[in-house]
This record gives sequence, C-alpha cells and structure tokens, in this order.
Amino acid sequence: MRCEQAGEMMSARLDDRLDRTEITLLEDHLAGCSACQAEWHRLQALDGLLASAPMVRAPVRLRVQVMARLSRREQARRAIIGSTALALGTVALALLALAPALLGLLDVTGIAPALVIGGPETIVQLLALLGAVGHALLVLAKEFAVPLASLGLCSLMLALALDGLWIGAVRRLRAAH
Amino acid sequence: MTNEAEWIRLAREGNQDAFGRLVVAYQTPVYNLAYRMLGNAAEAEEAAQEAFLRAYTHLRSYDPQRPFRSWLLSIASHHCIDQLRRRRITWLSFEDEIAVPDGSTGLAEVQLASNSPNPEAVVTRREREEQMQQLLAALPPTDRAAITLRYWYDYSYEEIAETLNLTVSAVKSRLYRTRRGLAKMIEGETDDAL
Repeated sequence: MRCEQAGEMMSARLDDRLDRTEITLLEDHLAGCSACQAEWHRLQALDGLLASAPMVRAPVRLRVQVMARLSRREQARRAIIGSTALALGTVALALLALAPALLGLLDVTGIAPALVIGGPETIVQLLALLGAVGHALLVLAKEFAVPLASLGLCSLMLALALDGLWIGAVRRLRAAH
Repeated sequence: MTNEAEWIRLAREGNQDAFGRLVVAYQTPVYNLAYRMLGNAAEAEEAAQEAFLRAYTHLRSYDPQRPFRSWLLSIASHHCIDQLRRRRITWLSFEDEIAVPDGSTGLAEVQLASNSPNPEAVVTRREREEQMQQLLAALPPTDRAAITLRYWYDYSYEEIAETLNLTVSAVKSRLYRTRRGLAKMIEGETDDAL
C-alpha cells in the first residue's frame, strides 16, 4: 500500500468508513511506516480537537430579528403588488375615460342616451354590477391589510367592471342604430 | 403529524407564527454553522437571519420527504460560502500550501452551548475555541463547510455531498486533504511554541 492511499484510509477510518479488511490493511501499513504513524497521530489529535468543540448557542434575539425582517419584507412585497395593481388600475381607468372618444361614440350619442336607450333593464343591471363591485371591494379591504394594495386592486376591478359596462352599452347602441 | 410537520405546513400557507416556531427550533444549528463558517459573531447573526428569510421565501420548494434540518442547513451553507467568496480573499488549497491566517480572525465573545463552571476550564475552552476558529479560517469556503458539517452535525459523506452539491468521492478526498493540512498547521504551531 502506498502512503498516499494509507492517508486517505486514515481519514476514512476517523469517519468509520472502513470495513474490517481495510482496517487490517491500514494497521499493517502503519506498523511498518513511521511517517504514516506520525501522520495518524496528528490526524487523531486534530479529530479529538474538532470533535470536542461545542455548538455555539444562538443569541436569544435571533427569532425576534428574523420575524421583524420577515414582516418588513412582507410589507414591502405587498406594497409592490399594490403599486403595480394601482398602476394597472389607473391605466385601465384612463383607457375607460378615452374609450368613448376612441370608439367615436360621443359624436353619435354620448353615455346618457345610451342609458336611456337601454331603458330600466340597463339601469337595474348597472345597480347590480355596482353592488357586486362594492361587495368585492369590501372583501378585498378585509383581506389585504395594506391600504395601497387594496386601493390598487379595487381600482383595477372597478375599471374592468366599468369597461364591461361600456362594452355592453356600445353593443346596445349599435344594435339600436 | 408531528409538530414540526404541522409548523412547516402552516408556514407554507403564510403563517408567520408557525415559521417563528421553526426559527426557535433551528436557530442554534443555523447560527453555529454560520459562526463556524464565518468566524465572526456579528456576521454569523446576520447570515443566520438571512438563511431563515431565504428558507421562508422558498418554503414552497421544500420537499417534505427530505429532513427539514438538512434543507435549512443547505441554504445556510450556501449563503455562508457566498459570503466568504465575496470577501475576495485568495484561499490556498491544501494541495499546494497551507493558508495560515493572519491572526485577525474576528473571534467574538460567544456563549458556548455547554456549561462551564470552572474558570480554568473556561480559559482552556476559550483557547481551544480560538485555535479552532483559526484553523477553520485557513480553509477555503467549501472545505470549511464540509468539515463543519462533518464534525458539528455528524453528517455522512452522502449528506455532505448532497448539501454542498459534490460527489461522495470528492467529499472523501476533500476531508482527507483538509485534515492533513490542518494537522500540519497544528504541528507547526506546536513546533513554534517549543
């Protein structure tokens, strides 16, 4: 056996990774090699030093610090989601405001005639839709503690609902004309 | 279902109180790993916090079939290795030469997990602790992680390999090279003292 191989076996011996035959081979080599014997003693001393080292206990404040950072991170995450939703909602509202002009409807009728043409059925549908949106806003406000996130999601929902209403009105108007 | 499994399940659903219980359960193993890796109490505290935050963020990717402790220590190990690499110190491999630390290991006053009523024993333990940290500080990051996981966590070669993304044979040869280098360092210190 070469000394290099014996060295690897010494390390494995410290980790209880040798079988009976390998242990015998190693011991035979050590009996006839003073250099490896010296290394074996050094490795055993090192092993004793490392094995006797205790765990270092965590400071008691660690949990509080982790939870505080976690809370701050969650708030920041929600703020980003809220900001994004708010931005999307604003864009949607802006598109909604421009929709009549884009569709050329103002030249034809405008929104009030649309409701008149639609009659009571459209007004009832509008009220039902507003009720549903209001309920959804209430649920969202309870679910999301961060006002910005609530505001953003609410504005997005409102814009989408109004967009839907617009599309319905446009179809009715086109059908009426 | 064990308490731990229940805490993990709740934490995955966003329950921070449940995650807080996991932090309490594993704060000492995570902190000790960070301290042994970084050799500095302040940095270890920061690294332990960051490891827990990363664990919370990636909790959904955790495989419940795997021990939570191993998964968590793997996150902490990789974070500490990254931190050490950012220090931009050139680590010398034991294959070439032994990297002897300059003495400024940043040892902090730390409370050890065992009781030590005898003042003389406290001094001896402190000296051994300093010697230990000086030895570890000389190691390249991955070797330091391998030795730490082997001695303080009683990890098998297979567990070290899985944690550090190495092969089992690489772990075996790393441990041998590292031990041989550390043993020479100890011998060198002993010779200097004579």
